[in-house]
Amino acid sequence: MTPVGGVVDEPATSPEQGARDPDRPARSRLGGARLAAYLLTVYVLVTINFFLPRALPGDPIDALLDPSQPAYLQNERLRAEITAYYGLDRPIGVQYVDYLADLARGDLGTSIRYNVPVADLLAERLPWTLLLVGAGLTAAVIVGLSAGVHSGWRRGGRDDRRLLALFLGVSNFPAFFLASIALFVFAVQLGWVPLAGARTPFASGQSWFTQVADVAHHLALPAAVMAVSVAADYFLVMRAGMVGELGADHLLGGRVKGLRERRLKYRYAARNALLPAVSLVAARVGTAVSGLTIFIETVFAYPGIGRLVFDAVSFRDYPVLQACFLVLALLTVTANLGADLAYTRLDPRVRA
Amino acid sequence: MSVLRSPLSLAGAALLGGLLLVGALAPVIAPYDPHALAGEALEAPSSRHLLGTDGIGQDLFSRVLWGARTSLTVALGAAGLAMALAVLVGVTAALLGGAADTVAMRVVDVFLALPGLPLLVLVAAMVGANRLTLILLIGVIRWPELARVLRGQTLTLRQRGFVASARGFGGGLGWVLRRHLVPALAPLILAGFITVAGTAVLMEAGLAFLGLSDPTAVSWGGILNRALLQPGLYFTPAWTWWVLPAGFAITLTVLGFTFLAVGLEPALNPRWRRAS
Repeated sequence: MTPVGGVVDEPATSPEQGARDPDRPARSRLGGARLAAYLLTVYVLVTINFFLPRALPGDPIDALLDPSQPAYLQNERLRAEITAYYGLDRPIGVQYVDYLADLARGDLGTSIRYNVPVADLLAERLPWTLLLVGAGLTAAVIVGLSAGVHSGWRRGGRDDRRLLALFLGVSNFPAFFLASIALFVFAVQLGWVPLAGARTPFASGQSWFTQVADVAHHLALPAAVMAVSVAADYFLVMRAGMVGELGADHLLGGRVKGLRERRLKYRYAARNALLPAVSLVAARVGTAVSGLTIFIETVFAYPGIGRLVFDAVSFRDYPVLQACFLVLALLTVTANLGADLAYTRLDPRVRA
Repeated sequence: MSVLRSPLSLAGAALLGGLLLVGALAPVIAPYDPHALAGEALEAPSSRHLLGTDGIGQDLFSRVLWGARTSLTVALGAAGLAMALAVLVGVTAALLGGAADTVAMRVVDVFLALPGLPLLVLVAAMVGANRLTLILLIGVIRWPELARVLRGQTLTLRQRGFVASARGFGGGLGWVLRRHLVPALAPLILAGFITVAGTAVLMEAGLAFLGLSDPTAVSWGGILNRALLQPGLYFTPAWTWWVLPAGFAITLTVLGFTFLAVGLEPALNPRWRRAS
């Protein structure tokens, strides 16, 4: 399972493939090659974002004008004026350079629905998404890894079978369904947490501590749902790693020395089994950002980028949708780069 | 292959078989037209409406039955497309080698680095979602990692005698592909098909949940989307009969594909077979 020439969570390929890959970068240049691939991916994403709306049927003006309005087709002059105003009558190469220049200045266009700069909307939403992902993944790491260690150490035992069934079952639930069930049970029926949002509205002037508690109270359930959705993967990898360590010689050696069970379990087995789990933890950051935030924030009306995607889809607010795509995509590929680099640093066999 | 009779794959096959049957027979067994306003809004489950009605009075039991059609059509279509592309690119790249191989694998790398769901949402919102575009989009997003797996396996197969002798006797690429490689790769292709179909169910449901679904088709995700947009839904008992059946339908379908994949794994994974 060396992450040669590809993503970390590459599906099981035969070992022959890695060994025979002709264009595999030399190990010392791995970091540089990763960085170059990352920059290329970012460039591809930015370019997709520009060309996609222009390549698809209909032009951007169609999206701006409601087809049911009389002005839509009949007033050709207005249409031409709008096209000129947005610079869409100029050669596509010029438009592309303009787009890149705007992007470099942080200008992402104007929201159709809110009529404010998209960049402002994103700046307001991004912290909430980062908070949700951070809290959710931290909880997932703690729950998934410790359950995995426990389960793998007692493979085939009662706890193992129960945990396995639990995590395998949960991992088949779509995140939005899980979120809706959680909302119904914990917010509506039990009333433990608020129904929606990230903080109590109109609650200014409170003490610093009250505000933090309020944010945490709103965050608890969305973060828990994200944690549960991700933890299943962490659990399975950690458990498999532990099971792989069970028959290891150093473990037998430790046992012969008369070491205590706890020390064997955590210092001897879990520590070695941690490596594949760590790379998966990092690789799932991208999945959580790009997929789960959209669904979970939508169900909980959490004011992050994901909820913005849902609202932009409902209102056909294309500038916002495109900007959200760009931000989520950049976050995802950046997280994946981080995962690759972390793995390279942690595994001495790759670093050597 | 005795593994075919493993309890897990049997359970998965039974689940999916049942769902396929429901999808195929939906027009016959559904008591109402899924689009018709068959009763009052938000009626509780009764003998007339087994799962009650939604916010505008459509019969939810009929809609859940019809939803199986959309879900399975998109899942099987997308999985078929993804596997066809994966076989075409992966196997051809491995057989041709050289520059063609390098270019194909760089394309695969770029595709793999793209964040699937945000891209899917963006394109579906712009093109307009219907069954055909969903199949195309999901298939195109899911082929690259399977292409890479198939390329790796083909490289090892190429080293074995039978492919080299077929080429030596003058067999063309197409012949070798059809006659020798596809049969040898069949287990991997089948495993890939099942995996992609499972994720395609989730993707279709997820997009429909966000409001990106075929307006003329009934989709489980679409049922949940409408439920979510219903004001005050969580404070009415309607939540239980509006959200739960569609949600569990998605979950069961995904579970069916998971069971099938896990149960067949010993038979399908070449590494397991070598070990035993």
